[in-house]
Amino acid sequence: MTQWRVLYRKELLEMIRNYKVMWIPLVFMLLGVMQPISSYYMPEILDNFGGLPEGAIIEMPLPTGAEVLMGVLSNYGMLGVLILVLSAMGIVSAEKQSGVLGTVMSKPVPHSSYILSKWAGLVTITLLSLFIGYIASWYYTNLLIESVTAERVFQSFAIYSIWLIFVVTLTLFFSTVMKGNGSVAFMTILIVAVLSTVTSIMENKMKWSPATLTNHTGYLLQSGELQSSFLPAFLNTIALIILVLFFTIQIFKHKEFRE
Amino acid sequence: MELLNVTDLGKRYGEANAVNGVTFQIEEGKCVSLLGANGAGKTTTLKMLSGLLEPTSGNIYFQGTKHKDLRRFIGYLPQYPSFFNWMSGKEFLIFAAELANINRKDAVKRSEELLERVGLSDAKKRKIGGYSGGMKQRLGIAQALIHRPKLLILDEPVSALDPLGRREVLDMMREIKKETTILFSTHVLHDAQEISDDILIMNDGEIAISGQLETVIKQYQQPIIRIEFISEPYEWLKNIETQSFVSEIAIQGNVAKIGVTDIENDSQTLLKEIVEQRISIRKFELEQTTLEDLFMKVVKA
Repeated sequence: MTQWRVLYRKELLEMIRNYKVMWIPLVFMLLGVMQPISSYYMPEILDNFGGLPEGAIIEMPLPTGAEVLMGVLSNYGMLGVLILVLSAMGIVSAEKQSGVLGTVMSKPVPHSSYILSKWAGLVTITLLSLFIGYIASWYYTNLLIESVTAERVFQSFAIYSIWLIFVVTLTLFFSTVMKGNGSVAFMTILIVAVLSTVTSIMENKMKWSPATLTNHTGYLLQSGELQSSFLPAFLNTIALIILVLFFTIQIFKHKEFRE
Repeated sequence: MELLNVTDLGKRYGEANAVNGVTFQIEEGKCVSLLGANGAGKTTTLKMLSGLLEPTSGNIYFQGTKHKDLRRFIGYLPQYPSFFNWMSGKEFLIFAAELANINRKDAVKRSEELLERVGLSDAKKRKIGGYSGGMKQRLGIAQALIHRPKLLILDEPVSALDPLGRREVLDMMREIKKETTILFSTHVLHDAQEISDDILIMNDGEIAISGQLETVIKQYQQPIIRIEFISEPYEWLKNIETQSFVSEIAIQGNVAKIGVTDIENDSQTLLKEIVEQRISIRKFELEQTTLEDLFMKVVKA
């Protein structure tokens, strides 16, 4: 437990020293705030780019606040995930490559403490980025579009975080198992993309899929309620996260630190 | 007292045997050097002892018992020590101390102590990324010593250093050896001869020779006559090789090392031959085989 704390503190310190703790939330803020702002200014933007052809009459209703926030989360689902995965891909593999992992593990550190401290570090930066970005987007949505209740925002934040935590847990797994940083990012993105696509194509058969959590967030934002299929998907995602962590630790235990 | 007892320790990678059943003991308070050519299995052996690699076979007994986790008794310096370059030297030592379950207050105290000892006090606040190779090596030794290990394992501690850095590290090891048992690998035989009490020579994943340094040298020592010629008298040497008192001849350019049985009589015989055959020589020396000769013999065998 003590070692876990020491290692977690090191993770936080490292993120502060290399400014990750600043730039990732900043990117999330930009990605999020873009949505309400561009929705609001869409008519002006269209005008600036030459406008619509003479005579074309297109109604452009302002989207609802819930729709804007769904758009924000959908940005996070694409670029946000990409940035999280790219920033986390070397979390174990880079330390393995530099050899510093050998120095750390030559001290009596339990393998689980090492992996769990890495995981806690990833979860911290993920939640921090999502929270700051989402709150900023909420602020602009309230300002420019319409107000959305705090309750819905926080509930959707909670559900969406679980999806992102699932994504970074996968990144941690591949970073432990594989060597090159590039292949870690590739495998994680591939799995996330396949899972999302298959889930949206075969919605009925994939009710358990972690990727449905993004749909549940959307539904919650619009209606303020949860679908009945939420609970199994939620529990299943939590179970998957625990399972992936368990396997990460087991594989890490038997991996060898050859320089 | 026996500190470490290793029996039949082996490591396989697929089909290849990196370490092939080695057995040896380390006495408490001794400084033991592990010699061997590149690829002989030194690093693999050291990593198994320090808990970074799981052996495929064999047992490691530490102070008579087989521990599940040896790491708290052992300080390990890898061949290429690497750190978190964004940390300062002091930060890294405190971090390493805390990983070894030392509380913060003691960790700070112990780190200061070791920084002083390895001569890094002036650089303790600088980022490790800016350290020179020698400084990194010394920081590596400090982090290995931080939890007062019973056995200090150093993998090639001096091989990558310049002569000055090498001297510093060797002097440091001589100091450390007063209170801690040391096992270090090297292929610089001179260093091994200089500071170790016992030696282990590995070849092809096996221990070829082990024992007290002096005993080993004495046991395998052989008188040698070293002759430097002006031009290489190939024919004559061939002729000499067939004589009964010559055990072996090693020729390197114009220099021949002739292993003999009785140095006084045999040198007389050889000298007489040289005069009679009118062979011009530059030097004629009587020597004993060194650790290097022994090492070459083992490795080439």
